[in-house]
Amino acid sequence: MISNRLLRLAPAPVVLASLVLALGTRPAAADEFTKQDLADWQQQFKSVAEKGEALFHSAELGTNGHSCDGCHPDAADTHPETYPKYQQQIGEVVELRNMINWCIENPLEGEPLPLDSDKLLQLEAYINWERRGVAMAPGKH
Amino acid sequence: MPRPTAWLAGAALLLASAGPAAAAFDPQEPPLGLPPVPVPADNPVTQAKADLGEQLFNDKRFSGDGTIACASCHQPDNAFTDDLPIAKGINDQKGTRHTPTVVNAVYYETQFWDGRRDSLETQALDPLVNPVEHGLESHDAVLEVIRGDDGYTRQFREVFGVAPGDITMDHVTKAIAAFERTQVSGSSPFDRYRYGGEEDAISESAKRGLKIFRNKGRCVDCHTIEQNYATFTDNDFHNLGVGWDRIGDEVFALVDSFRKMKKEGGDADIDTTILTDGKVAELGRFTVSLDPQDVGRFKTPTLRNVAVTAPYMHDGSEQTLMDVVEFYDKGGNANPLLDGGIKELDLTDQEKQDLVAFLKTLTSPRFSDLADNGGK
Amino acid sequence: MSNRFKRRDFLKGTVAAGAATAIPLSLVELSWGMGSQPQASDAQDFTFAYISDSHLTQVKGTEFNENFDGGLKRAVTELNFMSPKPDFVVYGGDLSQLGKAEELDHGLEIMSGIRNLDVKWVIGEHDYYLDLGRYWQDNVSDLHYSFDHKGVHFVVLNSILTFDEWTHNRWPSAMERMKQMARLDNPEGSPFMVGETQREWLRKDLANVSRSTPIVVLSHSPLYQVYRPWNFWTEDAKEVQALLQPFDRVNVLHGHVHQIMYNQIGNITFQAMMATAWPWPYPESYAQHDNAIPKTTVFMNRADPHNSRDGTGWGSVDLISGRETIHHTLWRNTNRTIAYDADAGHPVDTKYQDPADRIPPQNHY
Repeated sequence: MISNRLLRLAPAPVVLASLVLALGTRPAAADEFTKQDLADWQQQFKSVAEKGEALFHSAELGTNGHSCDGCHPDAADTHPETYPKYQQQIGEVVELRNMINWCIENPLEGEPLPLDSDKLLQLEAYINWERRGVAMAPGKH
Repeated sequence: MPRPTAWLAGAALLLASAGPAAAAFDPQEPPLGLPPVPVPADNPVTQAKADLGEQLFNDKRFSGDGTIACASCHQPDNAFTDDLPIAKGINDQKGTRHTPTVVNAVYYETQFWDGRRDSLETQALDPLVNPVEHGLESHDAVLEVIRGDDGYTRQFREVFGVAPGDITMDHVTKAIAAFERTQVSGSSPFDRYRYGGEEDAISESAKRGLKIFRNKGRCVDCHTIEQNYATFTDNDFHNLGVGWDRIGDEVFALVDSFRKMKKEGGDADIDTTILTDGKVAELGRFTVSLDPQDVGRFKTPTLRNVAVTAPYMHDGSEQTLMDVVEFYDKGGNANPLLDGGIKELDLTDQEKQDLVAFLKTLTSPRFSDLADNGGK
Repeated sequence: MSNRFKRRDFLKGTVAAGAATAIPLSLVELSWGMGSQPQASDAQDFTFAYISDSHLTQVKGTEFNENFDGGLKRAVTELNFMSPKPDFVVYGGDLSQLGKAEELDHGLEIMSGIRNLDVKWVIGEHDYYLDLGRYWQDNVSDLHYSFDHKGVHFVVLNSILTFDEWTHNRWPSAMERMKQMARLDNPEGSPFMVGETQREWLRKDLANVSRSTPIVVLSHSPLYQVYRPWNFWTEDAKEVQALLQPFDRVNVLHGHVHQIMYNQIGNITFQAMMATAWPWPYPESYAQHDNAIPKTTVFMNRADPHNSRDGTGWGSVDLISGRETIHHTLWRNTNRTIAYDADAGHPVDTKYQDPADRIPPQNHY
């Protein structure tokens, strides 16, 4: 129930926005996100990270039965906060997803993922999630 | 007697190797793709010293029968190597190792395939008195020749301020090392592509080969490429199993007897033993460190100019670049001390060809005519 | 000896370490527990070797994972190079990855390449949970036992047991149970323990051992509590330690953690030994959970994942006056020696214990 006061005082677009909000759809103005939006969007992120967690613990990325957690339990020692950085194993400055592909290709003996693949995104989401709260340290070895 | 032709040739070499803009060798201005040239404080490089070193390098009188110079195996016109699997010295005697190139050897932290010498200066001492190389009884013969040669005594006085009677092997090796330090070469098609920003300097196949070199081929971890330059060596020692079959199960007995020999003071003759005993030679870095972990380990060579320095490996056992790629593709030669970085690669034929195409881009302009003729 | 570490200096160093390398405050303080002076013992000094955690994995048929085979073969070869020879070799557990007969047989075959040395076997969870140690008992060794050597009393424990319910009632098949136990970060995992039956056996076994006899306990998991989520843990550690309390010199050697770690609790020195297969991260590198890594520990060098042998190795143990000095042979890295410092009353790394002597690869984060 939209209050009369709001109707009298608010300019027309805001009234429209409020009506739209009351109906449970997104506001027209970009900065009018709500706590519910935040919760929804966080949940969308988490759903991607959960897929990443499953991939991280599955043998499907490689061909030799190994999975990422076999060396990185709980994604430990992945250091997502340090990318981009000079990666000794590749011989140049790269992003996290390049190193994920290196690991897929080398210890897991699998095919590297295309750089725009959903799976890479899921893995990155999970790896970053497990490292939440740690300060950015780009370039750190 | 001054040798004008040699001097001019030397200067031309200096110019070509130092890069188009430099008028003289400057260790801080290396060719494209190389880091600054390491020069020890006690042996700065000057033109005169390098020229003297070059003459010494080419002088056949420093051998038992007057036929062998450094340049006999390290042939300057042949990328400083000899095309042989195993080097041949005085009286055609075979040693146990393939001749490494001098080009860019300054970037090694140790010299020889097992790193038994820690500088270009000290390395220069050994072949002179090795019975299967120059075959001299002692270094005295070298100093005798020098002191009796007016051209040399004048140059030694100019370069080191030393009287003929005071010339020592320290001066001799310093001059040779100074010459070797000027033999650096970069500016290869790879360097122009990677560090010069020239997108078209190498073929698409070679570009794919570079990616394989970094990723599936697993090459770059030992044959190092850095963000701003590439020496293609990690200056470390690795066991690929090359030559392991020559010792196999005898390895325990060999290690035991080598340890015994060292304990009984058999230190002085290591250089001779390694180049004459084919089995001890395969112990590799162990003969220097005495650490059993080092059995069968040999130094990572630079890959610069690899297309013109065939054959390959410490025993010259791989003839062509494709042979080398096949060797790595199958995971090297299995043995209990195989390096942890070596494993089967499962490369496709296309990937192997791309890798070879990439390796061919590492040849500096100075040697590109050799590449055309060699086509390895 | 310049590398003898005085207690004072160590404490000072610890504070500095906390500042310079940001070691989390959750790391366990040493408990010095000097108590009464140790009595003299008749024990001789001797050396034995220690190889552990090979995780041999069957791919199919007679084909096994080459990486893991390579680690164990390398350790066996280097052990054969050892001069002078050790008295015997301990195998610290997790010979196989999934406890299959093929994997255990394969491991026995590789270990049979050891020249002229007896092997003392310790079981790991990867060897146990497929058939609850049946094949191991029939073909490798007893699950727990003791023996004496040159005046030192050795006890081998099966420290990787867990709650009966998890072991017998939780999983639909033996292989499923094994795979669940095989996953280190398993939220469905269950903590290790020695258990009451075995503790009772231990109590009786130690009843006839004199206080001054040096004791070496061999177990797979650490007999103290470091990090429960990854089972760097023994649930009844305190009870086991209590049984060991009355003895002057106790040394515990364990595997499982695939990293260098050492600690002192009262009279007991704990030493983790390396794996031949692969390194584990230090629990400190998981940011979302506290851990109790002993503050004493100078971490092993960080591993380059390109090289399968980096972060792996094997070791030898000198028993000197009833205390252990550990020599870690670290493939691709400078070897490490960790010796018991009698003045300080705890183990120290003979080269790197002082934070000022540490090198960058020992800094994990």
